[in-house]
Amino acid sequence: MVKKLGYLLAGVFFGFTLSRSGASEYNYIYYMFTGENFKLAFLMATAIVTGAIGLAVLKWSGNKDINGQEIKISKKPLNQYTIVGGILFGIGWAISGACPGTALVQIGEGKIIGLFTVFGIVCGTYIYALLVQKNPQI
Amino acid sequence: MNFLFVDLWPWWLGGIAIGLLVPFLYYFLNTALGVSTGYGNLLKFILPETKLAWLNSETYKNKFNWRFIFIIGMIIGGFLSARASNMPFITSEMGLFTEATSWPFIAYIPWFFAGGVFLGLGARLAGGCTSGHSIHGLASLQISSLVATVLFLLVGAVTTFFIRLIVFRG
Repeated sequence: MVKKLGYLLAGVFFGFTLSRSGASEYNYIYYMFTGENFKLAFLMATAIVTGAIGLAVLKWSGNKDINGQEIKISKKPLNQYTIVGGILFGIGWAISGACPGTALVQIGEGKIIGLFTVFGIVCGTYIYALLVQKNPQI
Repeated sequence: MNFLFVDLWPWWLGGIAIGLLVPFLYYFLNTALGVSTGYGNLLKFILPETKLAWLNSETYKNKFNWRFIFIIGMIIGGFLSARASNMPFITSEMGLFTEATSWPFIAYIPWFFAGGVFLGLGARLAGGCTSGHSIHGLASLQISSLVATVLFLLVGAVTTFFIRLIVFRG
């Protein structure tokens, strides 16, 4: 129960932060891609550096979580699907002006169009599930 | 308080807050930050009886696991932010896109739906989205995330170039 509350709070914090920093604004993404305003890119870079420092501190302090369990960093495989997926994702990011996280935030903000993006992402995930069914090595 | 709740945050504040979420999630919940995998939970919520093997894997055994809770939290977070800054409760606008195009509202459905399909399929094939790859993956120095993120940005910029040219007509 405490853990569930933790996940809910983490989600609220993430959604609130994305919204308050403008990351769920169509224009922020559009202007980053046209090169007119790099605020969103700076935000991402700051997040990456902050996250990397935080993970390094965790590692130096014994790599244990609050319960003393070893922290296992989720490993992302690199293969041809990373490339195909990266290309498709980039197209989708530009078309919808959102990513899977900020599309959810848009719904919370009351942007009706965000619902269409979210429904599209659910369907894209379904297409993936069908592809894996046919070709399990994906 | 306007600084935190009404005005948009400066990029560095948002960046630090989002960046801290990565080590905090690992420390307190031993969990990797990621959003797009949770869309499988939403899919299973819509199709509870599905026979597809992927949707019956360990990840989705319980469709109301942490990913589902986290996603609901994100929607609430967006709602709270909008209320704090007096955004309209409901809007049919989408920034520059709905300003630059004067389509009937119904025409926006297939456009944004199509964008979502690319995002959903792309994120699953690539193994993550902007959160899982670009923030969590790069913060944990993974090559795969670097490849994915460079492609996200590069292809996003090229696609936007064509959207500006063809849809916005300059």
